[in-house]
Amino acid sequence: MHRSLFNILSGRNTRQGLWGLPLLVALLISLWLTVQTTQFATAENLFNLVAQAMPLIIVAIGQLIVVLIGGLDLSVGSVISLTTAMLALDQPAIVLIPAVFVLAALIGLINGLAITRFNVHPIITTLSTQYIVLGITRILRPVSGGTVPEIVINSVSGSLLGVPYPVFWGITVILVAWKLLYGSRYGLYLFAIGGGIASGAESAARNFGVSDRRDIVLAYVVCSCFAAVAGVFLAGRIVSGDPNVGLLFELDAITAVALGGTQLSGGIGSLHGTVIGALVMALLANGMNLANVSPFIQTAIKGGILLAVVGLQSRKKMGL
Amino acid sequence: MAAVLANRIARRLRHIPPSYFVFIVLLATLWIARPNMLNLNIMGIFIRQIVPLGILVLGQLVVMRVKSIDLSGGGIILLINYFISSGSFPGAGLPFFIMLALATGLVIGLFNGLMIGNRRVSAVIVTLAVSIILVGLVQFLSSGNPPGDVPRLFNDLYNTKFLSVPTPVLFWILLTAAVSLLLSRTVFGRYIASVGENAEAAHFSGVPVQRTVVLAHTLAGLIAAIAALVQTGSIAVGSVRVGLDLPILAVAATILGGVVFGRGDGGVWGPFFGALCFALLFVVMTVLGVDEPGKLIAQGVIILGAAIFYGVRVRTP
Repeated sequence: MHRSLFNILSGRNTRQGLWGLPLLVALLISLWLTVQTTQFATAENLFNLVAQAMPLIIVAIGQLIVVLIGGLDLSVGSVISLTTAMLALDQPAIVLIPAVFVLAALIGLINGLAITRFNVHPIITTLSTQYIVLGITRILRPVSGGTVPEIVINSVSGSLLGVPYPVFWGITVILVAWKLLYGSRYGLYLFAIGGGIASGAESAARNFGVSDRRDIVLAYVVCSCFAAVAGVFLAGRIVSGDPNVGLLFELDAITAVALGGTQLSGGIGSLHGTVIGALVMALLANGMNLANVSPFIQTAIKGGILLAVVGLQSRKKMGL
Repeated sequence: MAAVLANRIARRLRHIPPSYFVFIVLLATLWIARPNMLNLNIMGIFIRQIVPLGILVLGQLVVMRVKSIDLSGGGIILLINYFISSGSFPGAGLPFFIMLALATGLVIGLFNGLMIGNRRVSAVIVTLAVSIILVGLVQFLSSGNPPGDVPRLFNDLYNTKFLSVPTPVLFWILLTAAVSLLLSRTVFGRYIASVGENAEAAHFSGVPVQRTVVLAHTLAGLIAAIAALVQTGSIAVGSVRVGLDLPILAVAATILGGVVFGRGDGGVWGPFFGALCFALLFVVMTVLGVDEPGKLIAQGVIILGAAIFYGVRVRTP
């Protein structure tokens, strides 16, 4: 298996997309931050960085799964907010945690069914569910408050052998996603369906016996469940329910996915690229916070990055 | 459900934009719940409030006809509102602000169009990103606080009436008629219809597909600027939050009006009634005591419902 460094950097001739370049960017930002500030390269800040990046990494991996099949899920931000609001309902954890995932799966199911059975565009579908879920969240918890079950808080704030729990969260999520994408038949189907959609032959995978409708529905369910995992993590971090915590998260996730070299038209992308993309976003946020950049400007810069990375991808389709 | 929708009568009915049915249902609901509210004065005030939305819908339907979408309206409205209310242009009069607004809308619309038409970037991503950048910029410039006041003339103009119909409503109807003429009577209108119908076939028939998409987005930016002027007149103060939910409502009203990506069954008046539906919807919900979360849910359900209504139709042979 011969692959030159240039091929990795440019993402040419690969199903993984351009992920070497963002890795380079991540390393450069880290280097610059290490030189510029003394606070950056401390164990405390680095562990902090992992904890800060974790929700985005989890959501972005979920987003990657729907992006691979040429879809997009704009409802993940609302699912995160709903999860934190649900967890702060003052019920035992044994009830709340399964309930959160059932609800997230249900939202994913509605998305998937509307897209496959009723032929509604993914963006329109998930935009509507985003609003519906946000409405439900605001009914549950109009303003932030309440307390999250003890076990959720403990699962993100402790440490084992000097390594904080968020690191273990990250390893677990990445391993699960790796198994799903690269260690299962389903992962192969995702690439096959997405490759077909990207090249304009939507039934290509179906002709080879892949039941694409069911797999597409499942992709949205998985994406929603990943968002719920991120919601549980965030709830543990902020200790309360917050109806606005997931605001604009879907855009950060899409930016991270696109930054990691994944093509938004589907079929081309990688797990490591997405994780790197999310890390770049977290590094940038960390750096801008250390440099005291206004949060409003940070939002604008994130928008600019999204525009730039997506603008650099070429695709056939015009419009949506 | 598909079987019911494949029925002959149902198929006939589905050629009428959903907005007409929803409008009648909402009107009936209001008539039962609060008959005394159905008079010209009160309805005039409610309809006047959604004129910015109604105008934004006109731009949205043009881009949705070419299978694109524009979510940057919120950012454009916020930026123009900031220009007018921040006092950065001391002594500037109404004509200056109108020209400035139109130029802003034109530039942003053109940028969207070039990114979507020439660079072929996903329209959702481009316009959302543009909106985020503009919102972030305005909030930074005004450091999160509402900027100053709007020149009095804006609000005075907004409050005028012509033959007991509020001027903004009249302006909206005229603008809708103009867009209707543009789409049905001009070459550009034909181009838009053919690109939406089948971009490839349009290309081989000699339609300048890219230029049509770019122009559609430029027009949408321009129309968003007009919406921004009306919106600024209506609230009469500077704001860092104004109009942020308008683009999504505009998408909802357009779909409700029977215009879905590439298909223009509802023409221009379908979406017009789509916007009117939202005016009535907000009145009905306020009357029935439904608050903000309920409105969010209703918006989502309406978008999804109308899209499913059309999605199923595409499938039936």
